[in-house]
Amino acid sequence: MLAYLTNLAVLIGINAILAVTLNFVLGYAGIFSMAHAVFFGVGAYTATWVAIKLGGGLLLATGAGMAVAALISLALALPALRVRGEYFVAASLGLQMLAITVFSEWKAFTGGIGGITNIPPASLFGFQLTTPAQYLVLTLACLAAVIAIVRALVRGSFGRSLKAIRDNETAASTYGKNVAVIKTIAVAVSSSLAAVAGALYAFYMSFVNVESFVLDTSVLLIAMVVIGGVATLTGPIIGTLLILLLPAALSYLPGLPSTEIGSIQQIVYGAAMVLLMIFRPGGVWSLRRREGDPR
Amino acid sequence: MTGAHEVLLETERLSVSFGGLRAVDDVSLALRAGIVTTLVGPNGAGKTTLFNLITGHLAPHAGSVRWLGRRITGQPHWRIARAGIGRTFQDLKLFDHMSVLDNVLAVTERDAWLWQRGGAAGAAQRLARAEAALQAVGLADRRHARALDLAYAQRKFLSVARLLASGARLWLLDEPASGLDPRSYERFLALLREQVARGCTICIIEHNLDIVVGISDRIVFLDQGRVLAEGDPKSILSDPNLAAIYFGERAA
Amino acid sequence: MLLLQLLINGLQLGAIYALTAVGFALIFGSTRIFHVAHGAAFTLAAYLFWWSFTKLHWHWLAALVLAAAVVIAFGVAMERWIYRPIQRHEGAFFTVFIAAFGMQIVVQNAVGTVFGRGFETVTVALSRAVPVATGLYVAPVAAVAIGTAIVCFIALAWFLTRTHIGTALRALSDNPDLVRVFGLDPARLAQVAFALGSALVVPGAALTAATQGINPNIGAHIMLISLAATIVGGIGSLTGAACGGLLLGLAESLALWKLDAQWSEGVTFVILFVFIIFRPAGFLGRPLGAK
Repeated sequence: MLAYLTNLAVLIGINAILAVTLNFVLGYAGIFSMAHAVFFGVGAYTATWVAIKLGGGLLLATGAGMAVAALISLALALPALRVRGEYFVAASLGLQMLAITVFSEWKAFTGGIGGITNIPPASLFGFQLTTPAQYLVLTLACLAAVIAIVRALVRGSFGRSLKAIRDNETAASTYGKNVAVIKTIAVAVSSSLAAVAGALYAFYMSFVNVESFVLDTSVLLIAMVVIGGVATLTGPIIGTLLILLLPAALSYLPGLPSTEIGSIQQIVYGAAMVLLMIFRPGGVWSLRRREGDPR
Repeated sequence: MTGAHEVLLETERLSVSFGGLRAVDDVSLALRAGIVTTLVGPNGAGKTTLFNLITGHLAPHAGSVRWLGRRITGQPHWRIARAGIGRTFQDLKLFDHMSVLDNVLAVTERDAWLWQRGGAAGAAQRLARAEAALQAVGLADRRHARALDLAYAQRKFLSVARLLASGARLWLLDEPASGLDPRSYERFLALLREQVARGCTICIIEHNLDIVVGISDRIVFLDQGRVLAEGDPKSILSDPNLAAIYFGERAA
Repeated sequence: MLLLQLLINGLQLGAIYALTAVGFALIFGSTRIFHVAHGAAFTLAAYLFWWSFTKLHWHWLAALVLAAAVVIAFGVAMERWIYRPIQRHEGAFFTVFIAAFGMQIVVQNAVGTVFGRGFETVTVALSRAVPVATGLYVAPVAAVAIGTAIVCFIALAWFLTRTHIGTALRALSDNPDLVRVFGLDPARLAQVAFALGSALVVPGAALTAATQGINPNIGAHIMLISLAATIVGGIGSLTGAACGGLLLGLAESLALWKLDAQWSEGVTFVILFVFIIFRPAGFLGRPLGAK
């Protein structure tokens, strides 16, 4: 039981990092990325490569993952952010689909469809992390760090710029904000922090393959952010908890064939997204907020 | 007002067309420090388009714009804004979900990076400027309210506060007085006169002729994208030909 | 010969993509709603056609009518019960997109649960490939696909230019506020746009069932292509969307001449990227520019 809970907690932590970083661009900046899973994957594969081929430890592997993810996000953001929002959705979708093909075919780097197994455990200053409990501590520490970084950015001048752009892009640019650059930086920050989750995932599972980084994953992340509550720090965490605990909760309901649980989970959060957008676009977390709170 | 008021903004033969329509046609005008210029003209005369050309949101097909002697035509709008050109909008375009203070503070933070330069001292300066702007428009006690929740007149003043905080030397105001009650309007005029006395130049698009007379030093009459006449308020407004065009009775 | 084969397959694929893309572009152009649930409409149409034709043994015409009726009802219901309440409230792009997206997820999974997650096809006499020349196999269904697309486009063009409602729809896409001034009801027009746009998926869905086969993911896949086609062809242009769809179908098929099958889908997105970078207005679009 404890092992099950620890495992679940690690996965929740990793997904929470992804949700918080996605919310940074989606909720605060209004940028629609359908490709967040790509940066998750890039972080995982890069960290794996560094660990296996270079014998790198946790810090080097994660750092490399962050750098590569940031670079790739620039390739997405620079052209796509010049133009209207709908284009960015399409471009990010395109990137996600392309990435799946690359992840599946580039055997040398990603191990192809079979993926890569026997990833060495993460080593931090000579200390090797081998037990789930250790990974839980590591994950929670990373989550706390990511939240702290996002919080600092959001409450400071950068956050104000993002919210100004989200609220009225014309006015923001009229008052001197270089919108394209600011959005690009937001995407780069979000992507490189997502790569941290990827590195954690690779080391924890000792195994990576493309199945974890497909469109469905990107969609799941969007659901977490949207359902939990956009543009808040707590919202994405709530969303992560709700969505990841849902299959477990569903399995307790009598009469549900276990083969259908995955589908039912998706139907539930798909319907939740539709209903929330009609009645409470702010997400679950906004249900408790008083009207008139500036975000 | 006579005397050598320096020219801050100059447009030279500025033109832009949409499809076959010349929205702004060969417009040359000069905006001088300490002078309030009002653009009048029937709807569709190209006044807002002219503003868009000056702020860099629209690129002209011919002609140029000079600010403080330097050519700014074709520069990105954020750079033009930082050079000191500011503007309000008819529909205000406030940052609705942000607080009053954040609306003004955001405008002072120009660097497109994760943090602003100047460290803590710089941040204190920017905050002081934002607070001063709010004081000047009378919104200091509402600094934490959400912009969306303000009354209409307060929202109008907030949009002016943004302009104040940005430190702009050219104020382009698009129908700033519409919807204001007389007392608010007087306060607004006082603000404008103060800015003008500091050496700014103000250019207003306005339809209400009472307001036009009350505030303007100079009037520029636009129709179908061209400058038909310019001069002091009295002479322009007493010209029967222009009146006929303004009220749509006759084309130029 | 292989090239010719691929060309014909490409035209067939392109015809299907073009039809769906035009449906999406029609809805987006008239109502400015980013109706990503269009893919869900495609899935519904495809499965209803397959099920009523193969399992209930209905006549193919009846199957088409059933698919069309349900899909039109779906589109209109989306507009009336989901998009319109959202737009009354706030109507930001984000909210509309997420709602549509959520619906897409629900439909895709519901279809999978009800009809099974496997790959299904409709086999008709038309599907069987016939050797037309040495090394060249063409199934008559290819001609049907291309012919249907042409007929639909001509009918659509006639509708949009010659009928009162059609002209009103075009006016709506140019200037929504002006439409109200002329006494037309934008809400009713929006429903027409949704009904028409959704109906356009039916021929493509039926043809896909008869050629490549379908699975619950087919809608999402088609949605991506429609989106790409709309951008490549130019947002705001129906002809552009059709050309975009055709281009992408041809590219996907012709890519097989040199690339592995896995990469041929990637070609679509490379083309999309190239257009976004170099020509965001697409072939025929009005450059709507940055906000």
